[in-house]
Amino acid sequence: MLPAPLAAGVLELALGAVLLLVFVLNLFARGEDRRWLAGTALGGVLVVGALSLVVTPAPAGPGGMFVQDGLAIFAKRLFLGATVIGLLAGLGARPASGRRAGEYHLLLLTSLLGMLVLASARDLILLFVAFEVMSIPLYVLAGFLKRDATAVEASLKFFLVGSVSSAVLAYGLSFVYGAARSTDLAKVAQAFSTAEPLLLLGLLAALAGFAFKIAAFPFHMWVPDTYEAASTPFVAWLSVTPKAAGFVVLFRVYFEGMGERADAWMPIAAGLATVTIVAGNLMALPQQNTKRLLAYSGVAHIGYMLVGFAAASAAGTAMILFYLVAYVFSNMGAFLVVEAVARAEGSEATAALRGLAQRSPLLALAMLLFLLSLGGIPFVAGFWAKLYVFWAAAAAGLYWLVLVGAVLTVVALFYYLLVAKRMYIEAPERPGRIQLSAPLALALVLCALGVVALGVYPKPVVMAALRVATPLF
Amino acid sequence: MDALRLPVLSVITWSPFVGALLIMFTARHRPRAVRLIAAVTTGVSLLLSLGIYVAYDREGAGFQFYEKVALVPPLGISYELGVDGISLLLVLLTAIIIFAGVFASWTVKVRSQEFYALLLALVTGVFGVFVSLDLFVLFLFYELAVLPMYLLIGIWGSSGEIRPRGIFAWAYRETGVGTKEYAAMKLTLYLLFGSAFILVGIFALWVHAGAGSFSYLDMETAVFAPGVQRWVFLAFYVGFGVLAGIWPLHTWSPDGHASAPTAVSMLHAGVLMKLGAYGIVRVGMGLLPEGAAELVWLVGTIACVNIVYGALSAMAQTDLKYVIAYSSVSHMGLVLLAAATLTEAGLNGSVFQMFAHGIMTGLFFALVGLVYEKAHSREIGRMGGFGRVMPGVATAFTVGGLSSLGLPATSGFVAELLTFMGAWRSEHRWWLFPAVVGTFLTAVYVLRVTKQIFWGPESPHFRHLEDARGPEWVALVLLVFVLVLFGMAPGLALGPVDTATVPLLARIVGP
Repeated sequence: MLPAPLAAGVLELALGAVLLLVFVLNLFARGEDRRWLAGTALGGVLVVGALSLVVTPAPAGPGGMFVQDGLAIFAKRLFLGATVIGLLAGLGARPASGRRAGEYHLLLLTSLLGMLVLASARDLILLFVAFEVMSIPLYVLAGFLKRDATAVEASLKFFLVGSVSSAVLAYGLSFVYGAARSTDLAKVAQAFSTAEPLLLLGLLAALAGFAFKIAAFPFHMWVPDTYEAASTPFVAWLSVTPKAAGFVVLFRVYFEGMGERADAWMPIAAGLATVTIVAGNLMALPQQNTKRLLAYSGVAHIGYMLVGFAAASAAGTAMILFYLVAYVFSNMGAFLVVEAVARAEGSEATAALRGLAQRSPLLALAMLLFLLSLGGIPFVAGFWAKLYVFWAAAAAGLYWLVLVGAVLTVVALFYYLLVAKRMYIEAPERPGRIQLSAPLALALVLCALGVVALGVYPKPVVMAALRVATPLF
Repeated sequence: MDALRLPVLSVITWSPFVGALLIMFTARHRPRAVRLIAAVTTGVSLLLSLGIYVAYDREGAGFQFYEKVALVPPLGISYELGVDGISLLLVLLTAIIIFAGVFASWTVKVRSQEFYALLLALVTGVFGVFVSLDLFVLFLFYELAVLPMYLLIGIWGSSGEIRPRGIFAWAYRETGVGTKEYAAMKLTLYLLFGSAFILVGIFALWVHAGAGSFSYLDMETAVFAPGVQRWVFLAFYVGFGVLAGIWPLHTWSPDGHASAPTAVSMLHAGVLMKLGAYGIVRVGMGLLPEGAAELVWLVGTIACVNIVYGALSAMAQTDLKYVIAYSSVSHMGLVLLAAATLTEAGLNGSVFQMFAHGIMTGLFFALVGLVYEKAHSREIGRMGGFGRVMPGVATAFTVGGLSSLGLPATSGFVAELLTFMGAWRSEHRWWLFPAVVGTFLTAVYVLRVTKQIFWGPESPHFRHLEDARGPEWVALVLLVFVLVLFGMAPGLALGPVDTATVPLLARIVGP
């Protein structure tokens, strides 16, 4: 049995061990094909993932900085699950299994480690450090295809905007420390009241920093370029996990221990949600590149999650957690279909999906499921996700926000249906099945199963989310 | 009913869905089996609908054939079904139309397996809306009834023949207006736009009822504040109204109906638009009586615009399907006008009109589908003298047309008479005027079309055409029979309907 302070961090320690293992093995790796290295990393994450299924809430670590409560465990399972799908999809293809497989996986696992710590951090300094551990590898990974000029541009853009927002975050946190005289989030929550201008200012500045990471409007500029330029399995992962981590931090900083006073965030969160939904959906309309389309639609989805945030209630928090789970399956699935088609056709344009239903009916059906889920159609995961956040917002009296959100889903359905039209109504440009590699197919099957299972029987995940969200308030 | 303890409503609702699954998984590349499965599963629904129609206890009234299974207890969502006099008739309507629709589209050749599977899934959604008593489940079924439409119209639909000119040519280049893809997208987005309002309304009711339940029966006992009643009724009116084709949110309907394949047009114009009216009456008026009483002037006035505007538009069309589609807009105005009168005759007329118009427009679209399939044209000007080459189709069309303009002994007459009586007795007597004008205009365009296409001089191009064949007769005979039967014996329908409208009215205007 581990000593108490270590017991809380068992997942982080295990992941650290995997990280070291990959590092050491990479020293001995030779040749072009290094998929065994990718396989090792995947195996390691699988082991940590399995471990996360058996860990139980543990007493807080040193000085209450590091907590392993229900929320942290829920979030870590989510991160690990998404990482498994992401790594699986990259297996056997460049760049994840090529000559630089070692670097790729080291960076990705480091970022994951940052997320795991972030989910448990209840101290401003630990939180900031974890945030940076998570972010910096992402900048490198975004530019991983370094011979591609757009990738370098995207990476630079991502890095510059990211650094500025980190600076804003640190600046805001310093105000918070100044006003609350402690880096302990529990003490910050106690000190919080709307009559404390300095603390309020600090937390608002920090919100801008977090909004960058979750890519809420107007902090979303890095998203489309980065998504378009980076390798698709990585983007699939990037589009969900750091955002989930960002939301967990939001819960920790803005909700935990605040109780009724969390209502203070309602107007600003509702405003942020509105502009994010409207902007994301409208900007997605003219996109001809599927990855850019998904990037902007992803911005809109963050807006929908912020609707739950605006409810500032346990129900709202739980519904965001559920939304995140649904989002992992649907959004990653959609990106992976793009990857599958791009490997065969060499194009990521929506036009490459033409007539997919007649070429590969199952792949088209999977894409349709993911799109319907993203659009919020009944009996797939995304429907319940949207519905539950709307329900939480309505219960908090924000009917106008629900109406805006629901009306804008119509816009979203327009561009999702355009993709569906390409697949189902238009004729294929050339005949022939699209060949899938086995790991990618497996990842797609996992996503499709998740989307359908959550759509048909969402109850267990909803209940689990409610259980972990309730103690926050 | 003790002999029939099986969950009748569930069987009616899900039987087509089972058919859809069977078709998807067992009947690949066997078109005959596909049609057979579709006919059998919808036939089961039809027989059971007739069964419950006969077995419904008129003395007891209220919701019968009740079923309930808790789905998500913490939110109070349950799978709760039941029918009263109003939904009883509409379930029967749905069953008749889809059964006829399966036969009317017997000749669909392209990807027929997917076509029938989607069509049957859609029908399950429609049945579900009419029978569910849980607002949340109702919403689910509503979405299920809307979405397959996109693919059904987009893949199997037909585009208009005449390319637009002038400013419309520009619109065509930009949006593809008039094509089936355009129509499919427009229809889907309009209806989902409506569903956004419905969703907000349902949530508002859930919150304000405070019972923690989405059940219609629980909400019926709750008391809502007047302010809430007003805006929530408005939300439901707009939300369901889009589907019912209220002016100025109706423009999806002519495009959609004209572009859709036959069975989908039948189902959509015949049943789905009624679903909107049903939503306004059941959810809007039933749960928010004060809001309804306060806002009927709006409902009725817009309905008047619908009647006249729809009829005038129908007169101006040169495309046969658009004529029928605009006549639906006009007739839906009659349905809502009748409901807005808040009189017993009016409400009965409203429900009866839903039924009569559903059958009639189903018949029209079936016939237009047949004509189009044989003549490959929807342009009225190009057709003529079909009465000689297809006497059966011509007869059926004429019967439908006479019902449409309200000739006695057809269902249309009963519905319109009740509507006029209701309008006269209501607080807004002037509503009678647009209603009568609408009927007159209907006579003009229906007779014009009938004369031109069926009884005009014979065109040499179309001498080789044939009359309806085999399975197609099933659809025509069934629909004509029902149309005349309920016109001769309106009591068949009005008996059960009356048991539901009287209590509804009592809630709104007091006993």
